Amino acid sequence: MGPMKVGLPRMHKETGERRDFLPPFVAALCRDGATEVVLERDYGRSMDMEPAAYLELDPRVRFADHREVFDQDVVVVLRCPSEEAVAWMRPGALLVSMLHFPTRPSRIQMLDAAGVNALSLDSVRDDTGRRLVENLAAVGWNGVEAAFKEYAKIHPTFAHPSRRPLRVTCLGSGAVGGYAAHAATRYGDPQLRADMVAKNVPGVEVTVVDFDLTWHEDYMLTRLEQTDILIDATSRIDPSRPVIPNPWVAALPEEAVILDLSSDPYLPEADPPLVKGIEGVPHGDLDRWVFTPEDPAWDQQPDAVDTTHRRTALSCYAWPGIHPSTCMQVYGEQIEPFMTLVLSMPVAEWDERHGTHDVRAAARGELSRWRM
Amino acid sequence: MADVARRLSIGFPRMHKEVGERRDFLPPLLARLVARGAEIRVEKGIGSGMGYTDEDYLALGDHVRLVSQAEAFAQDIVVVLRCPDETELDLVRPGTALISMLHFPTRPERVARLRHQRVEAVAIDQIVDDDGHRLVEESHAVAWNGIEAAFDALAVTYPAMTQGDRPPVRVTIMGAGSIGRHAAEAATKYGNQERAAELLRAGVPGVEVVTIGRNLTSDARYLHERLCLTDVLVDTTERSDPSTPLIPNDWIELLPEHAVICDCVVDPYQLDTDPPTVRGIEGIPQGDLDSYVFAVDDPAWDTTVPSGIPHDHRRTVVSCYSWPGVHPEPCMELYGAQLTPLLETLIERGGVDALRLDGSFHERALARACLRHWHEPAGR
Repeated sequence: MGPMKVGLPRMHKETGERRDFLPPFVAALCRDGATEVVLERDYGRSMDMEPAAYLELDPRVRFADHREVFDQDVVVVLRCPSEEAVAWMRPGALLVSMLHFPTRPSRIQMLDAAGVNALSLDSVRDDTGRRLVENLAAVGWNGVEAAFKEYAKIHPTFAHPSRRPLRVTCLGSGAVGGYAAHAATRYGDPQLRADMVAKNVPGVEVTVVDFDLTWHEDYMLTRLEQTDILIDATSRIDPSRPVIPNPWVAALPEEAVILDLSSDPYLPEADPPLVKGIEGVPHGDLDRWVFTPEDPAWDQQPDAVDTTHRRTALSCYAWPGIHPSTCMQVYGEQIEPFMTLVLSMPVAEWDERHGTHDVRAAARGELSRWRM
Repeated sequence: MADVARRLSIGFPRMHKEVGERRDFLPPLLARLVARGAEIRVEKGIGSGMGYTDEDYLALGDHVRLVSQAEAFAQDIVVVLRCPDETELDLVRPGTALISMLHFPTRPERVARLRHQRVEAVAIDQIVDDDGHRLVEESHAVAWNGIEAAFDALAVTYPAMTQGDRPPVRVTIMGAGSIGRHAAEAATKYGNQERAAELLRAGVPGVEVVTIGRNLTSDARYLHERLCLTDVLVDTTERSDPSTPLIPNDWIELLPEHAVICDCVVDPYQLDTDPPTVRGIEGIPQGDLDSYVFAVDDPAWDTTVPSGIPHDHRRTVVSCYSWPGVHPEPCMELYGAQLTPLLETLIERGGVDALRLDGSFHERALARACLRHWHEPAGR
């Protein structure tokens, strides 16, 4: 392998996006033989990391401006960079990012136009097809933690031993639903749960229902009447139809809380138009994820979306990002083996059939092989 | 690296504990290891419980040979899922790396034996990532296979299960950890995707799953009400105090007559320990791969439950010490996939001795699981 310089740009899509890779990840890049690790100025600052935390790792670490960071042999950034930034990359350079090839054909064209190769982290999978870079636990836990915080604000008896057990209904029993159910039995916060147990406060009953019951209107209306927190963790086959049409929201108690973990967007221009699983709920991001019934965001939904019935709702496009350090520790550990590979073996030599486990997994996410 | 790798031999003995134990490592895993330069020695008959022949393994090439059980244990590295018994351990040479489910923390006698024998053991159950998450585990199969058996049993005790005019089936899962999470998903699908699709097509209402954690399993009043509403009761708990049952035997009477109890935990009765360990649901039998469904009149209620443990109140129980083994081939496909990068790393490093705690991701995960790096908790 020739000398390899690695650029780590920051993500600027939202003010609330605070995630950057942590020093142990940068140290691993140096250990793996990067000749230089170029960080964007103020890297880690949003997570209270001082520049010294990176600079003291190794003399090969330095800071540079946004544009120069993209002018390296390898660029690693969690969310896909803008088209402008990709154009700054060197032809033949490698972009390592969450690129979602199957659903973003325009992104592939953009990479082709720039002559950039790419490793899409969401397509890195083991021999059984399991994603090796993902943080679904954080989706479940962070969302549920935020939902209970809002619920506690609305309900003064939240932490009182005399209250009945809280009732959470989770739509969807897949991976995100599983983590959400687990988190909900613990209020999304193990310390809060321990405090509640110590005070003899009754716990949380989590009811999980999947598509074999969500179609059953009578059942669902009864269930919604008995729900304190409603979680959407569905992965719908037909995203043009909501699981909970807006009129059903009226069945929830007035002071119930809705939590959107699926983060499906409204796409009115699609054919057919796509809607969220719980109709009417605003689409949040890292700048804002709590929407009370009076929030103007409810009125800004596409015209065809019914928002008549409202409850306090939480929605965030990137739930893992609300606890950035924990999130980046997980991603750093998951991505590290593949950076070892990037820095030790030319991409052209990655062998999807006969290479080692890490080579095979990475090859599945590399653009030219994915295209085949 | 290649020369070192070629010298390494890896033995794959079979497991002979129960007639129903049909699991063996599958050819695709061995092919990966051969490709990395290992010499493979498999016990004759490997895979036969799943319909494989010796020829299926020999077809992997000259670096795979069929050997006796004793020879399979006499290699540089020995890989076997369940810990070998005392007689089998006698076959392991000093210096051999034994890779198996060894459960160091709860098996002090085994640890002492391995140390005395100078076996360099690697506990598969202790191979974890930097955050402590297990890299080789089958909680998915524990949950799905257990729940599938529970619904098979429910179809017998509750014939209305497949009828369109019944209410949703009500499942209560105690415990929301790794097995509990998978159990919830499995229960919404009756433990079997084909059965779920069939019942959905027939317009039969589905399954309502209620998951409760420790803060409600300790609430007797709540649990009494819950049990009355439960068609399938699933235990996936990890109790902080295993000397006290969560469900005393007389509470079982609160369950409907047709209810089924699904035991995914399979804590054993250990009445000779101080304090004694009892099962989470008191009085239920413990099964294995030979027998895991127990109707209320099954003799196992009297033969597998120790005297002194109340067991008068009964419902149909499904319980198996090794739920993943119920469907051996998918189980071994997954174990093979999970072990592949670890064994590849081990071959690449030339054996256990070279593993470093600050090495690559898989290297340090392996190193942490080595007996040499494991220390008994203080006070033991």
